[in-house]
Amino acid sequence: MFSFTKNQEIMEISGIKIGGQPGELPTVLFGGLFFKGEPDYQNSKKLLSNMLDLSKKTNIPAIPDFFIKKEEFILKIINFIENNLPKNIPFSIDIIDPDLKIKTLEILGKSKLLNRTIYNSIHVGITDEEQVAIKKYTPEMAIIVAFNPKDKSPDGKIEVLENGANLTELGLLEITKKIGIKKLLIDTAAMAPGDNSGASIAAIPVIKEEYGLPTGCAIHNVVEKSKWLDEFKNAKKSVDASSNINIPLFGGDYAIYGPIEQSDLVFPIIAWQDMLVSEYTEKYFGATPDKSHPRRKFY
Amino acid sequence: MGSSVKTTIIGSYPIDVDRLEQINGYYNQSYISWNKYIKDAVNKQINAGIDVIADGQTRDPFLNIFYRKIKGCRIRDRPEVIDKVEFSGPITIEDQKYVRKIIPKNKKLIGLIAGPYTLTQSCKNLFYKDDKELAFDFAEALKNEAKMLEDHVDMISVDEPFFSVQMPEYAKELISIVTKNISLEKRLHVCGDVSDIIPQLIELPIDVLSHEFKAKPELFDKFIQYDFNQKICLGGVRSDESRIEPVDEIVAHLKKAKKLFEDKIAYISPDCGQRMRTPYEAFQKLKNLVEAKRIVYG
Repeated sequence: MFSFTKNQEIMEISGIKIGGQPGELPTVLFGGLFFKGEPDYQNSKKLLSNMLDLSKKTNIPAIPDFFIKKEEFILKIINFIENNLPKNIPFSIDIIDPDLKIKTLEILGKSKLLNRTIYNSIHVGITDEEQVAIKKYTPEMAIIVAFNPKDKSPDGKIEVLENGANLTELGLLEITKKIGIKKLLIDTAAMAPGDNSGASIAAIPVIKEEYGLPTGCAIHNVVEKSKWLDEFKNAKKSVDASSNINIPLFGGDYAIYGPIEQSDLVFPIIAWQDMLVSEYTEKYFGATPDKSHPRRKFY
Repeated sequence: MGSSVKTTIIGSYPIDVDRLEQINGYYNQSYISWNKYIKDAVNKQINAGIDVIADGQTRDPFLNIFYRKIKGCRIRDRPEVIDKVEFSGPITIEDQKYVRKIIPKNKKLIGLIAGPYTLTQSCKNLFYKDDKELAFDFAEALKNEAKMLEDHVDMISVDEPFFSVQMPEYAKELISIVTKNISLEKRLHVCGDVSDIIPQLIELPIDVLSHEFKAKPELFDKFIQYDFNQKICLGGVRSDESRIEPVDEIVAHLKKAKKLFEDKIAYISPDCGQRMRTPYEAFQKLKNLVEAKRIVYG
């Protein structure tokens, strides 16, 4: 366990704080909804409610991450957010297609939800049209995915943030600043097993020490793609959930832990891990846990 | 039998990278091969009629291709040297093997190496106390790449653009290290104004001197003042402007060169790498260059 020499920024959205020195703030958990097929809104209400309940019970902040895969889902999902997510909870929109991103931003703007929106994500695939849309409908916060197809090491992830690895005209940090997003989170881009997947964890302290920005990733993706684990059906869910402890252990600030169905396992694991880190970093580095930290709740 | 004068390129060739495909590959956790971009650059050269093909240095700006793979370097906003520079494995070899597979048998292949002095001067040196020591370590690292290239290409080019800014007194030693024991034809490319360093350039252990004669026609008058053994790779179209030179303009340029240098002209190429040109401009320039060469040399 360690502390960074670089001052660590804390970004806040709707009362949820992300970032800081290890042990100061709880790890923020992003749980995914609507990843596959036709969204099941009824069941999702229950899952969402369960996630928020677990968050209260553990003091681990929860942010739902809404996948939007088709244009026809945009309005329905935004209605779902408006009607089912408490007004004080932020959310992220997780969209790959640039045209869908643009359409969703416009609707979020008209629905006055942008101040609770985390834009997931900015990356080397960003288009000019997308940049124009973000300038017009600026979300409160964005996740920058530090994916560099040319170099998947921690250095490569810094390169893409700095200069876009010559794939984009500017570095991703500069693009984000230029389009008006002030609050940002760095995602260290977990790769497939065998494709330098460990670098996404190793990059967390490297990036935090370099920039002092809140950093995390979706390390669970590596577990999901570890086909050899299919032979161990009983263990796979636990491995998936527990993979997330790597993030606070390496000084990270948030985890995108996959399907919201995993919440029951992930929240207690992360609360436990956060307390482990906090106990030591408070004693050794003087990192006082925030009043929202699970340690304040349990002991 | 074709003319003994061949057309070639200096190194880089522009391509359009499908960035969305790259990011979709990340989301699907699938590997997206770069070979299609190399193939695109190579096919454009073949379609334009170029005789000696290069891989097009599509992966990165040409220096970064080397910084990325040489131990001791890393790329931040600028490339940095943070540890002892050493060869840590093939840099361009896999791409050359791929190009060899996809080019017709009657085409030759040129392997490209960034020069040790240019690599030294284009990075932030955070490790070595002395630039000279760094330059020699780069040369030692590149020597290994050159030796490996020998098995896969027909000719090797060392690109040292920084010589036109500053040519160190140890330039000959550096180039000698890189090209030592290479039996293939060796080209040195130095763009920019080389008029003041011609005496040093012609002393270097290389076979072909490559310079931007189109953007700097004053080089004609400078070079004819010297007696030198090397052949010339003549820059025939500009790489620093988008205007596409018409064939007759290039023909006039080549005729002038032929008259002055006679059989010293061995290759005709663009002045420099074409990375900064659009794919359309780069292709049209090559096509016109090839046609002009055909008119002048057959």
